[in-house]
Amino acid sequence: MEFVIEHLEKHFEKKQVLRDVSFTFESGKIYGLLGRNGAGKTTLFNCLNRDMKADGGRFFIREEGKEREVLPEEMGYVLSTPAVPEFLTGREFLKFFMEINRDSIRRPKTIDAYFDQVGIAPEDRDRLLKDYSHGMKNKMQMLVQIIARPSILLLDEPLTSLDVVAAEEMKQLLRSQKQERILIFSTHIMELALDLCDEIVVLNQGILEEIRRENLDQKEFRERILEMLREEGHV
Amino acid sequence: MFKIFRIAFSLKNTYRVNTILFSLKQIPLVKRLLPLRLYQSRGLKRLGLVLSIFWEIAGALLGKLLYLLLMVVWAGNLYGKENGTEIYAHLLFFLTLIGAYMNTYLFNPTNDKYYAMILMRMDARKYTLTDYGYTLLRTGLSFLPALLWISFSRGLPLWACLLAPLHILSVKLAAAGLFLRRYEKTGVCSNENLPPGLAWGLTGILLGAAYALPALGLCLPLPLYGALALFSLVPGIFGIIKIAGFTEYRAMYQMLLAQKRCAVDVKQSVQTAVLEQNRKNISKEGGMTTQKEGFAGFQELFMKRHRKILWKSAKRMAGILAAASLGAAGASLISREAALALNGLLLKALPWFAFIMYTVNRGTAFTQALFMNCDRSMLTYSFYKKPAFILRLFRLRLLGIIGVNLLPAGVLAAGMPLILYLSGGTGQVLYYLLYPASILAMSVFFSVHYLTLYYLLQPYTASTELKSGTYRLAVWATYLVCFLLLQVEVPPLLFGILSVVFCLGYCGAACALVYRLAGRTFRIRY
Repeated sequence: MEFVIEHLEKHFEKKQVLRDVSFTFESGKIYGLLGRNGAGKTTLFNCLNRDMKADGGRFFIREEGKEREVLPEEMGYVLSTPAVPEFLTGREFLKFFMEINRDSIRRPKTIDAYFDQVGIAPEDRDRLLKDYSHGMKNKMQMLVQIIARPSILLLDEPLTSLDVVAAEEMKQLLRSQKQERILIFSTHIMELALDLCDEIVVLNQGILEEIRRENLDQKEFRERILEMLREEGHV
Repeated sequence: MFKIFRIAFSLKNTYRVNTILFSLKQIPLVKRLLPLRLYQSRGLKRLGLVLSIFWEIAGALLGKLLYLLLMVVWAGNLYGKENGTEIYAHLLFFLTLIGAYMNTYLFNPTNDKYYAMILMRMDARKYTLTDYGYTLLRTGLSFLPALLWISFSRGLPLWACLLAPLHILSVKLAAAGLFLRRYEKTGVCSNENLPPGLAWGLTGILLGAAYALPALGLCLPLPLYGALALFSLVPGIFGIIKIAGFTEYRAMYQMLLAQKRCAVDVKQSVQTAVLEQNRKNISKEGGMTTQKEGFAGFQELFMKRHRKILWKSAKRMAGILAAASLGAAGASLISREAALALNGLLLKALPWFAFIMYTVNRGTAFTQALFMNCDRSMLTYSFYKKPAFILRLFRLRLLGIIGVNLLPAGVLAAGMPLILYLSGGTGQVLYYLLYPASILAMSVFFSVHYLTLYYLLQPYTASTELKSGTYRLAVWATYLVCFLLLQVEVPPLLFGILSVVFCLGYCGAACALVYRLAGRTFRIRY
């Protein structure tokens, strides 16, 4: 499976944020989406998640040479600020989520098995989500994506405000989820992208471009990414 | 000193002008006319400056006029015409005392102060003295026209009107001096926005003295008011000396403005406050569970866990309306005059119920809670945005909010025919059906109206800002129409029939629109 973006454009008034985004993502990989602050990473994700209407271009899934539209349930989005319904307990959230999506969840497990998978302690499972810590809310957000297993998962700086232990757990979780899926991980922390991701793509001046490792060692690769990000007029 | 004042005033003016331009940009249609480089446009900056100066002057004048009209003149007139001028002076005296410590200006941790003293590192003492001096001068001057108007139209002696601003400033200065002294002695810094329990207690006593004493026939004689106001100049002078000689403004404001340090980004701090406030509305007490599955259970738990702002409030309102209805029914039985008056009132007051229904409706509280505590998060999940799921939840929510609003409406719908009957009745038997039908229809209308606006315009951004100008206009227009209905006289029969027909027609059209469009419109704004 491939996820293809073709000539995607988005502007706000006269400011062109996404100029001509074209790229093909392959399944089974984690892509690190790097870009400077304000480069348009979140805008790109919002367009792909259809929270925002793009001004031009299209995106689709290509499977065995055939193109088809991305269904809403095939796209998952994990935000840097965890978004969970705070009036529910962790258990209730998972219960309702599983009931509502009963038809599309493959091989469902028990709720407690899911909690065990992300390491949410038994005593926390029946607390209101509003009382969860930032890291726990983030785990819940990820857990819902693990249960739903969308083919494409957009992750908008999900590790930025986690403590070191929670961040490491989340990295392990992400690595375990990449099989048969495409994970696009936006960050502005280069070390994180190099550590976690299989491929690096850079969003600069409204264009998306892959940086190939080729025969470069880690230091040279870093230099190349930095050089690309620094290029003001890079097109 | 003047240079500091000029810079501080210019700073305040700059962000006020920018705020005005930003607000203009939020108005639909107008925003299309504005240039992209809004904040670079000299012409618009000048327009903003004119509006800003107008606001500085008119806002102060109107504010004081409204305050005096409402708290002194209108309230004073309730006691009858006897001793009218003395009552005005009496009310003014005690209210002035409350303002001395509840509205100090000096201890209000505003953004202006944060920007000037902490961010821009202005000399704290010079800034405070000039800013405070200007604020006091503006306060005194803006009270004068309103007081003179009271003097000429209501007969309050001119000397009392001229003395009142001096009294207001003197007690403010005295209270500020005392607070500064307390800071020096104890290190405790007063925060005007967080008054201690003692201040609230004292306010209760002074309000009692202001409004209860005249009801008992007790009032400050005018000469005593004059003497006390004159005497207040002494502590006022003490206050000036203390304020001018105080040297620790920087340290004091560092403490007072500490909470703003983490909130340089005003937008961020507002968002945090809004979310925190909405989180407090969620309650989970024993037994708040559900046996239902899927969206039905999801919605039921939402209603149960927000009962503090939905059901509790509706029950309280229903209780008040029931007590008022029973009171009116009792009065009709006891007094013939009361019965006649109530009967006459009811026979022309049906349009007023539109405003009452508007007031008791929980629609806006409901949609706000829906967004802040539920949809803000859930709309980021793809499954939640499927049109079929959006409509399923819309239906459940509509039934939920109609149920909440029908409680007070039901009480009123039962009470009105009863009062009408007990107060002498009417020859039109149809009224006994039309009144409850119209009230219930209006209640359903408001429930549908707000939920429809929410689903079609979804006005909030991910950062909890209310961004849709169209939504604001629609909410404002709703208020305006309800308010105008207070002013018009329509025969009850006509209004009753029209209101029922309109409400039913509107509900049908609104639901049809939601079913057609919500799949596209119910999205998070960015």
